[in-house]
Amino acid sequence: MGGVVSALNVVATCLGVVNAAILRLGNAVGVICVGAMVVAILIQVFFRYVLNNALPWPDEAARFCMLWMTGAMAPIAFRRGGFVAIDMIPRILPNLVAQVLAMVLLGVSCVVLWTGVELGWNHITGFAGSGKSASLYTFFKIELRGGFGIDWGIQKMPKAQMMGSLFVGVCLLLSVNVELMLRSLIRLLGGSSMLLEIDGEEMAGAE
Amino acid sequence: MLVWFLPVFLVFLLIGLPVFFGLLAAPGLLLWMNGQERDIALLYRNVYNGMDSFPLMAIPFFMLAGELMNRGGITIRLVEFSQALMGHLRGGLAHVNVLSSILFAGLSGSAVADTSALGSMLIPAMEKQGYTRRFAAAITAASSVIGPIIPPSGIMIIYAYVMGESVAALFLAGIVPGVLVGVSLMIMIRLMADRYDLPKAERIVRKGEPLSSMEYWFSLVLARLNLGYLIYVLMGAFIESEGVLAWVSFAVALIIAHVLLLGLRRQVSADFRSVCKRAVVPLQTPILILGGILLGVFTPTEAAAVAVAYALLIGFFILRTLRWADLPDVFARAGITSAVVLLLVGAAMAFKTVVSLSHAPETLAAFVLGLTENPLLLLFLINILLFIVGMFLDAGPAIIILGPILGPIFTDLGVDSIHFAIIMSVNLTVGLATPPMGLVLFVAASVSQEKVETIAKAILPFLAVEVLVIFLITYVPAISMTIPRLTGFAN
Repeated sequence: MGGVVSALNVVATCLGVVNAAILRLGNAVGVICVGAMVVAILIQVFFRYVLNNALPWPDEAARFCMLWMTGAMAPIAFRRGGFVAIDMIPRILPNLVAQVLAMVLLGVSCVVLWTGVELGWNHITGFAGSGKSASLYTFFKIELRGGFGIDWGIQKMPKAQMMGSLFVGVCLLLSVNVELMLRSLIRLLGGSSMLLEIDGEEMAGAE
Repeated sequence: MLVWFLPVFLVFLLIGLPVFFGLLAAPGLLLWMNGQERDIALLYRNVYNGMDSFPLMAIPFFMLAGELMNRGGITIRLVEFSQALMGHLRGGLAHVNVLSSILFAGLSGSAVADTSALGSMLIPAMEKQGYTRRFAAAITAASSVIGPIIPPSGIMIIYAYVMGESVAALFLAGIVPGVLVGVSLMIMIRLMADRYDLPKAERIVRKGEPLSSMEYWFSLVLARLNLGYLIYVLMGAFIESEGVLAWVSFAVALIIAHVLLLGLRRQVSADFRSVCKRAVVPLQTPILILGGILLGVFTPTEAAAVAVAYALLIGFFILRTLRWADLPDVFARAGITSAVVLLLVGAAMAFKTVVSLSHAPETLAAFVLGLTENPLLLLFLINILLFIVGMFLDAGPAIIILGPILGPIFTDLGVDSIHFAIIMSVNLTVGLATPPMGLVLFVAASVSQEKVETIAKAILPFLAVEVLVIFLITYVPAISMTIPRLTGFAN
């Protein structure tokens, strides 16, 4: 049993390192997006009320940033235990039962996220993803239908580049979910002492 | 068959599944069992479409503005201002705690931020003055619920978006109920002050400390502009003026404001003036937000972005308390918290679609109306339900789950949708301070290093007062509806 736990711990640690690195990048993307959102809306306010000229792009650009901020940063919150849940029953259950329940709950979220990955892929590669943004431009387009390719050059931004935010977010959430499942399994098998701490502070919501 | 997704969802929630996954798993499971696999794709699309919204952007902006203000050291200014106004009363620091929460609510809209920011400052100060730690923590937690009631408010933006209401109308409707909660807490403190001989506090803590010249001139101009505009609006009620005459009227109003403030100057000490001037800059934020929305200059989202710009401006250039190196951390904190909320709202929009498909509101309405058709009694029952829900679930997720189910029932019964939104928001917000799962109780416990159970006992008198206010708001719609009606945001 000890060997299995050690092997699981190695996998969980490796996945943890990968997730931490990707989420650090996600954090940087999110920070840039937050800043860009503020700038875009302030430009909108300035042009509309000071110059009396309603620009078409800041609204869409800010939404683009908000979507990518969500996709990049929600997995960080999930990894830090920041997704709201009622944990009263798990708290009062005996330790072993609580750990089994935690595994079951992570299993349910894994199914939701896996379904989300499938649906997300269909979403960005389907009809909805083929549309173009009304006002945003990009200098490249990732071709996903009929093989992978990158089409360089300034062009209207495909909707898929906005929709990709949720798809990437769901993929990252799934990766974090798998890491949390492994950690939960290791705890269940009695290897809690082997587990490394997950960085970050506890979080609160909109309240 | 589909209506069974609600009990399944409830089971998922009770056993501890995160709300985001529960909102998708329960309807997804039932759609799958119902042979409606194609509709599951609709759930995903609705999560995306639900998040892709301009009004929702106000959530990260208000969170960011609150974080920036807090990092920029405005909390101490608000506390000192509150102390200058109320510190001399019996139970002075407890009153200061409540007044600071009311003022802080206009900047942040978060009960958690309020508890941690004000608690870390006021709980030790109250203890030093002879208050018990549990009392100090309890009043901090109880008063922090004012945060999400007075605008700006994260949960009201969520409610408005999920239920298709006007954010501005909800913001305006929250002002009086929020102040009412504060005033009722102060009355309770006054009663307890006699019984427990609560001490008075010194009104001015920092003496002889001058303002920087930049802040001095900035607050001087802002104070005159605000008062001058108020006088100008009041003058407008009697004298109609347009074009050049309007500018002349405004100039006259500014002169009157200046003379009035000079008159006040002689009535108070230099230290008192200094404390008031220090509060002018942070207190401009709610004026900017509400003023901008009311005057039709900004949408709530734009007002939120302007609040961020203002927070940056004062943090970097007026108060000089922010550093560039602080920004990534502040942006990350606001971004991560907002991301969770936005994802939850997206899931709520998907959930709402299935709620409509399942005809759950109609089924529930039939059940509820079977109990009684008296709206007053139903409002009483719904308040009990919301209070119980609030004991276990945070306000945001509770609104997301219950809004689409309960909202239509009460609107059909003739309760104004804005009034119902306020009942729900205030009730669930008070739930943040109720045991056993009240979020702010845990934050207060962590800030004060006091046990949650001890604070939970000490908070009971304050909770009783807040429950009373909930029923007052429920049965006297004018409390929440007067300002939106006067300003044309409600019928």
